[in-house]
Amino acid sequence: MTTETARPSPLQRVSRILLSDYFVLYLSLAYVAALAPFYPVLLTPANISNVLSNMWPLLIVATGQTFVLAIAGIDLSQGAVIAVTSVICAMLIAVTGNEAVLGNAPIWGAVIDGDGGLLSGVTGGLAIAILAMVVAAALIGLLNGVAVAVFGMPAFMVTLVTMLVVSAFAIYLSMSENISGLPEAFIDLGKGDLVSVYFGAQEESKIPRKVIYSFVTYPMVIAIAVAVFAHYLLNRTVFGRYVFAIGSNIRNAQISGVPVRRIVVAIFVISAVCAAIASILYSARLEAGRPTLGAGTFLLDVIGATVIGGTSLFGGKAKIIWTFFGVLFFVLLSNTLNLMNLSAFQVDMVKGAVILAAALLDVLRTRITRETAR
Amino acid sequence: MIKSLEKASDFLFRNATYVIFACVLLYYGLQAPSFLSVESLSNIVKQASFIGIAAIGMTFVLLTAGIDLSVGAVMFLAPLIAGYAMRDLGVPVPVGLLVAVLTGVLLGAINAILIVRLKVVPFITTLATLFLFRGFGTWLTSSQQFDFPEEIRRFGLSTVLGVPTPLIVFAIVALAAHVVLAHTAFGRQVYAFGNSPEGARKAGLSAEWIQARVFIICSACAALSGFMLIAQIGRLDVAFGEGSEFDVIAAAVLGGASLFGGIGSAFGAVVGATLIQTVKLGLVFTGVNLYLQPIMLGLIIFVAVLVDGVREKRLLALLKRTIRPV
Amino acid sequence: MSDLLTFEGLSKAWFGVPAVSDLDYALRENSLLGVIGQNGAGKSTLMNMIGGIVQPSGGRMLWRGAPYAPQSAADASKVGIAFIHQELNLFTNLSVAENLYVDGFPRKFGIIDWAAINERTRSILQRLSLDDVEPSVKVGQLSPGERQLVEIARALHNEAQLIIFDEPTTSLTHRETERLFETIATLREEGRTIVYISHILGDVQSISDGIAVLRDGRLVDHGAAADFPVSRMIKSMIGRDLGGLFPPRSNQPDSDLILSARSIGQPGVLEKASIDVRKGEVLGLFGLMGAGRSELARVLFGLDPHATGDILLNGQPLTGGPRNRIAAGMAFVTENRREEGLMLDASIADNLALVSIDRFGRKPFALVDMEALSTRTEAMKAELSIKAGNIARQAAKTLSGGNQQKVVIGKWQMQSPKLFILDEPTRGVDVGAKYEIYTLVDRIAADGGGVLMISSELDELLGMADRIVVMNRGEVIGSVDRADFDREKLLAMAFREVTA
Repeated sequence: MTTETARPSPLQRVSRILLSDYFVLYLSLAYVAALAPFYPVLLTPANISNVLSNMWPLLIVATGQTFVLAIAGIDLSQGAVIAVTSVICAMLIAVTGNEAVLGNAPIWGAVIDGDGGLLSGVTGGLAIAILAMVVAAALIGLLNGVAVAVFGMPAFMVTLVTMLVVSAFAIYLSMSENISGLPEAFIDLGKGDLVSVYFGAQEESKIPRKVIYSFVTYPMVIAIAVAVFAHYLLNRTVFGRYVFAIGSNIRNAQISGVPVRRIVVAIFVISAVCAAIASILYSARLEAGRPTLGAGTFLLDVIGATVIGGTSLFGGKAKIIWTFFGVLFFVLLSNTLNLMNLSAFQVDMVKGAVILAAALLDVLRTRITRETAR
Repeated sequence: MIKSLEKASDFLFRNATYVIFACVLLYYGLQAPSFLSVESLSNIVKQASFIGIAAIGMTFVLLTAGIDLSVGAVMFLAPLIAGYAMRDLGVPVPVGLLVAVLTGVLLGAINAILIVRLKVVPFITTLATLFLFRGFGTWLTSSQQFDFPEEIRRFGLSTVLGVPTPLIVFAIVALAAHVVLAHTAFGRQVYAFGNSPEGARKAGLSAEWIQARVFIICSACAALSGFMLIAQIGRLDVAFGEGSEFDVIAAAVLGGASLFGGIGSAFGAVVGATLIQTVKLGLVFTGVNLYLQPIMLGLIIFVAVLVDGVREKRLLALLKRTIRPV
Repeated sequence: MSDLLTFEGLSKAWFGVPAVSDLDYALRENSLLGVIGQNGAGKSTLMNMIGGIVQPSGGRMLWRGAPYAPQSAADASKVGIAFIHQELNLFTNLSVAENLYVDGFPRKFGIIDWAAINERTRSILQRLSLDDVEPSVKVGQLSPGERQLVEIARALHNEAQLIIFDEPTTSLTHRETERLFETIATLREEGRTIVYISHILGDVQSISDGIAVLRDGRLVDHGAAADFPVSRMIKSMIGRDLGGLFPPRSNQPDSDLILSARSIGQPGVLEKASIDVRKGEVLGLFGLMGAGRSELARVLFGLDPHATGDILLNGQPLTGGPRNRIAAGMAFVTENRREEGLMLDASIADNLALVSIDRFGRKPFALVDMEALSTRTEAMKAELSIKAGNIARQAAKTLSGGNQQKVVIGKWQMQSPKLFILDEPTRGVDVGAKYEIYTLVDRIAADGGGVLMISSELDELLGMADRIVVMNRGEVIGSVDRADFDREKLLAMAFREVTA
């Protein structure tokens, strides 16, 4: 523990970098630097803008997952929450309804018809719809949390079942059809930009829309707001202290008067609400409510990004900034693999290798900390 | 009075699956009596055989308190390799089946090495290999549908003495797994390990070897399960087996396997898989909306997991140290 | 008869602190040796050395005259030594026969030869008069007493020559205990050697032929059981000079009660246990391992349920879990520091802050007032003289045992609680830190708080307590005031040889 040892050995330096908060950021930068000469398109404004726009919703979901992993839990139901809230929102606010598409759905006639959803044209309808999404997500999170905290069921199985049931319910609501015809005000949430940059010759008097690249967008503002809020919640509040106490040593937490059950329930609610917020962004970008959003391998992206950032699956070790870098790395990885013209499945394969590498890295890091502690 | 109530609830907990099963059959029987006909029931078992074979393998892993998320990917990749052997090398169907199972063994060995040697937890290991196996398979097929030689369907749809081949394979696997689990040293050691890994080590059992073998068996069963299912349809889509891991785990848990290890049986997995299939087909039979079916299924699995959680709590309460006779 | 197991200068030290020192003894074949001693006398360390769990740091053991240096539990079982612990090591989901054969099933064509193992198991069970237990029944369905006999059957199956019993009767009924003693007699007749460790001195006296007494890691007395009445046992177990080990108590307890627990009962754990703690009082709670002290503490703190009785703090009845108890002014330092007291990977400051953290949350978002918190934790570090560098960065696991314990006490002290429950507060703590902890205990009482101090070390309670309550098997045996403190009497009460 002495700090005055003159000069760290190369091994010590390596382990210091491995243990750094910014390790994954360095990794991402090194990755870009290594690939940029071969794929110049990587650094074009268009591509950067694209990477960023993929990053924001994933960051919000992964932020929620970080809380769950911090107490050594796992939430597999986030994707399903995204799907169901997407459908709920769209069926409420759609401006028009297409009977040919939705005629068979149970919501047809009850919530949505040819004149659009229940809340279309209602003042403040959009806000009410978003509130409905959040409430629905919170209820699902509550169910997960109660099953885990009160009935002692394993988080993995509980959220697996919620995933099955909720995603089936989302598909049932619209009979697996997309609900389109969303109002402009909502769609703007997904792509509306605050700061855009034009790259090109100055003399053009009229700039074609497609050469303007959005950098500061609503999704960016929302995602960063969520991440910053989550960072403060986790690191600066009493609540965050309780989260780490539960994740580090649940028996100690109980004896020390941490309201364990309440916190566990709250965490599953946070995770689901984060998914609902991401659902707003995804649905707005798609300009539709889609019941299969967040299905398939999406969840593995979320967990992979969170874990590669450095958050431990065993609880007690989590940082929002790690998750931020993990998401950045994961999105960059997907992006570059696409640039290499790899298929979606090859992308998945690389992601699998990355998750494994992250796990091995975690084993290695634990070993280093144990040895340096000696 | 209280004692007998306790006994009754104990009985319900121990036999939750059968109780649910009986209720489901009764309910459908009342709704549509033809549901209980022989053809209908034998069709259910046949449909259950595919998930059932994989669930038997999963039971081995769950008995050691592990989990294998890669079974869906193995169900996809292993038959694919067999398909290449059959199409390009012209090997007959039985050899193809052998190739599929051996591929499963190999894939299981990869999981086993990562878990036992590199000490990566089963959940993460198999999550990663799920991606790797599936990615590798789709790379082989370039994301195209893969058509198997016609013989495979002849095998898949054949019958022996009037009994469909998948059913026979199912029965053989179930019986073999039962014998291994209940009547061999390895099987009993799997239970011992699941009950107390520390105790198993103290008793001189090789924990690594037990863990490695269960993951290999699980993958081999998944491979066989995938092969039998493909033998029904003759082709392999890119999405084949996607998400099947959840069905398989659900079937094993419904069959009484505990996620905490040490409890479960091969026949339990058979019952669990059959129960899932019964619910599915029953919902079709009684004309419930197709889209509502997964919801019903999810609720039943939820009950099974809840029962498992409560049972585990009771066991822990029983193990609590007493300092004076009760 | 020849010597089965011989110790020659056997020693073991933990970080320089001797647990067993320079032990010489020869255990004769087919004898039954009773081993007694207070908690911490070195019995477990000695047994762990015999069992190959720990290796001696000096001296050696001989098995039938040949050097014996087991490296693992398997080595011990190979030569023929079996242990029957209080906590049994059986697989509850397997049958009785399977538990015997789990590491080597006889097979026929690869299949377990059930007929053979059931047959052989039945014959072993018969030798133990366990005819009513079927070999195929699951161990989980047996009573504690039957399980114990199954453990013995396992030892017989492994052809154990030396069987060591460690507190085997704690959870047995009277009938089961009788049956165990009959079994032990049978084992003797078969020529086996027995070591019997127990806190129930009467039992030891009646079944053993020889008795050995350990104290502070040394063999202080041994002889034939016939010449070893209980009074001699107790006398041999105690005897140590306490001068200067404890700070003087600086106040007299008030007459006002802080804590009053009335007739606490819980099946299998506690029976009509009543206890009072006064203002400014250090109440010692003494008892042997498994006497129910920690169990009572957990009930008082709301961690475990109790079926009967009431708990009052300052006259107010207590309900609910630890959160309510903490709010009412209770603090609990448990006996498992690492498992229940600390977040080992977290910083010292985070550990100190945990209990009182909501006092530092500023409205409306309960944002932690980092400045106030850090001032307070630094002050606590100074107050308890925790020897650490930067408490905001240094992980709790890097501290010594004594300093870790100070952190645990400190996290409660941040709340200034009215009643402290300290369970084995000086376990695994070096002498210097012990003195500091005693000083702290005195200060808490002097400030008008109450302390319930649980300890297995009688000396510690004699040095610090104003009054000592003794428990045995989940019951309160009696209470002794400081003026009447008497080691022999207290120990006799703990062994239930007399009641106050």
